[in-house]
Amino acid sequence: MTLLSVENLTVKFHTRNGVTTAVDQVSFSVERGEILGIVGESGSGKSVSCYSLLGLVPMPPGKIESGRVMFDGKELLSMSEDELRELRGDDVAMIFQDPMTCLNPFLTIGEQLIEPLIYHRNYTRQQARERAIELMQETGIQQAETRFDAYPHEFSGGMRQRVMIAMALITEPKLLIADEPTTALDVTIQAQILELVAELQKERNLGVIFISHDLAVVRDLADNVMVMKEGKVVERNATAQLFANPTHPYTQQLLNAVPNGAKAYADLSQDHALLKVEALTTSFLDRNSGQRIKAVDAVSFDIKRNEILGLVGESGSGKSTIGRSILKLVNADSGKVIFDDQELLALNRKAMLPYRKRIQMIFQDPYASLNPRMTVFDALAEPMLYHGVANKQTVESQVLDLMDDVGLARKAVKKYPHEFSGGQRQRIAIGRAIATKPELIIADEPVSALDVTIQKQILALIFQLVEKHNLSMLFVSHDLSVVRSLCDRVMVIQHGKLLELAETETLWQSPKNDYTRKLLAAASGM
Amino acid sequence: MATQTANRDMHEKGTSLWADAWVRLKKNKLAVFGLSVIIVLIIITLLTPLIAPYGYEQQNLELGATPPSWAHWFGTDVFGRDLLTRVMYGGRVSLAVGLIATTVALVIGVAWGATAGYVGGRTDAIMMRIVDALYALPFIIFIILLMVVFGRSLLLLFLAIGAVEWLTMARIVRGQVLSIRNQEYIEAARSMGLSTPHILSRHVVPNALGPIIVYATLTVPQVMLLEAFLSFLGLGIQPPQSSWGVLISQGAEVMEDSPWLLIFPGLALSITLFALNFLGDGLRDALDPKASKD
Repeated sequence: MTLLSVENLTVKFHTRNGVTTAVDQVSFSVERGEILGIVGESGSGKSVSCYSLLGLVPMPPGKIESGRVMFDGKELLSMSEDELRELRGDDVAMIFQDPMTCLNPFLTIGEQLIEPLIYHRNYTRQQARERAIELMQETGIQQAETRFDAYPHEFSGGMRQRVMIAMALITEPKLLIADEPTTALDVTIQAQILELVAELQKERNLGVIFISHDLAVVRDLADNVMVMKEGKVVERNATAQLFANPTHPYTQQLLNAVPNGAKAYADLSQDHALLKVEALTTSFLDRNSGQRIKAVDAVSFDIKRNEILGLVGESGSGKSTIGRSILKLVNADSGKVIFDDQELLALNRKAMLPYRKRIQMIFQDPYASLNPRMTVFDALAEPMLYHGVANKQTVESQVLDLMDDVGLARKAVKKYPHEFSGGQRQRIAIGRAIATKPELIIADEPVSALDVTIQKQILALIFQLVEKHNLSMLFVSHDLSVVRSLCDRVMVIQHGKLLELAETETLWQSPKNDYTRKLLAAASGM
Repeated sequence: MATQTANRDMHEKGTSLWADAWVRLKKNKLAVFGLSVIIVLIIITLLTPLIAPYGYEQQNLELGATPPSWAHWFGTDVFGRDLLTRVMYGGRVSLAVGLIATTVALVIGVAWGATAGYVGGRTDAIMMRIVDALYALPFIIFIILLMVVFGRSLLLLFLAIGAVEWLTMARIVRGQVLSIRNQEYIEAARSMGLSTPHILSRHVVPNALGPIIVYATLTVPQVMLLEAFLSFLGLGIQPPQSSWGVLISQGAEVMEDSPWLLIFPGLALSITLFALNFLGDGLRDALDPKASKD
């Protein structure tokens, strides 16, 4: 018998601005022991189509217009709120994207794990504790006995996600819904979590719905894949077939959006570097231990003119701190940053000013890096006027030229950031960075917060601007495929130390460092 | 062609936050109503010496307290003085103290709080300890001291009240700024090399405006009542001069026999506060680009 079957599900949202169809006539089914991948960009309805089944979509504004949903022989849509809640805690479990926000920071992990056992299954505290520790061990948490009494903040991101998985499995559910469970994690951790999900699914003969925006993640894991766009299912097939012969143009576009191939265009033999970083060390005071922790530890590298240098590492490796230290947004302890023969770290604010014009930064999150109370015009005009690149007479036409440059409509110039999509906002942020006609740009994960197809467009824009304006760039990223498609050379850092720096293809073909090999394997294994 | 259209659009609608806020504010009927009421009140109080039906100290002891009539629209008080006239004159003092003291509190509080919150570290600690110390000081003593040192004047009274009220404003602003300064757009501004005053005025303060405006509208009635309290102690304005606060406290004493002496000054104060709140809410929404447009 089919575990879950959904027929012609339609969900609409009634808002003040009209009615949006979030899910449009969607049908799918999951058997026991099957992993169904649902892939789509944000807003494609992939999450809503699962959440609405379990009564997790707020209604109103949401409304299920039509459909039939059978789970384990029971009709779900006619269930009362109480029956649904019973089902959610019991037969159906969920894992979410951000493991930190899903755990209560004031309760120990153990307390949160045994809660459903005590309330749903009438276990005694002792029985529940034993069961929970057993599960923690099964999900790969070391020293489960002692970790049982630890608080969420004492766990790393990957460990927290393991806790979430343990929590999801504790009531022995039949169906597991995983909503982007690895998106917030580093690549190597991602691979481990995916492996764990696959393992547990096989052992327990679970039905799994795996929601992701990333085709690469789904590829190895899912038996069947369903691609969604604008609330509709555009294609559904067995995973191997779907990847071999995508029939729908949108699926093809998604597959193509995964960057591949290599580029090299800068003249790396030039001996005069634009930026030279020597033994840069930056440390932070750790409030708990009172000790200084080295975020960047004696890192040296250089960037030639016209070069894009990739900087790769996991979160916490210090890669963002390197960029921030160069711009003196954080104070370095020691080392030298030499830009065009001038040492920067020793300069005071005033002497640094002309160099700030020549070095600009693009930030990761276009929702956070733009002042919500400034129009696009003000945001773009500010650096120009401040650094004297434009004056009051010319600023208007220069801003409009800039809008053309980054591919935004000129008439959008008086809008505020929230009126744009993520991709468009990143275009604004890029526009702001090139407004002063800089020579070097530090791009801190500029596409990580964006959907894959948008990612490709933004990368193309960056590449085009680099060529047009003769820019050099330090490109910080945790995504190796992106780095490979864009960068001339790549440096790998871990725990603040530079492990390897080589030309992109050399690094890919013959990585010298163990950690680099692990990173590359994790990236290509997905 | 396209450029010209875009350019023209820009001039028509303006692109700065304040110009946009003005456009949006004009669409908000309640806010426009509030603003009009306040403007009318200000005009009336400015013209009071010309249009008041009687003199504010003109007594008619034979008349005594009479209810509203055609001769005296708001009635008269126990000395036979025309209440309408006294409410109009009282409005001069109350509106002035409300606006001046609030402005003083706003300017000092925002500048102080924003600087402390943004610069942080030792500067923050010192600046906020000063605020704490001033909080601990009984403000009556503080104002009496000021009066003794500088002599008694209305303007000084206003400034003194403002100098007390800015403390809370500074704390509110600092709290806001602490969260704003960690935003990425502040880091972006710093990476551009913008100076601290520039970042504060262009990036930090505009994003803290919501709570600032709400608190400012709350401060206005507070200072009006504070003025009444000080006058009651003999530190504020002197009889026969008056203010709404003074009229209300006098009216409250005789409200069983002559309720109009409480009702009319009370109405004047309430209408002003309502209008201010409408305007404040409207301003807060108008200054937030994310608030729905229509």
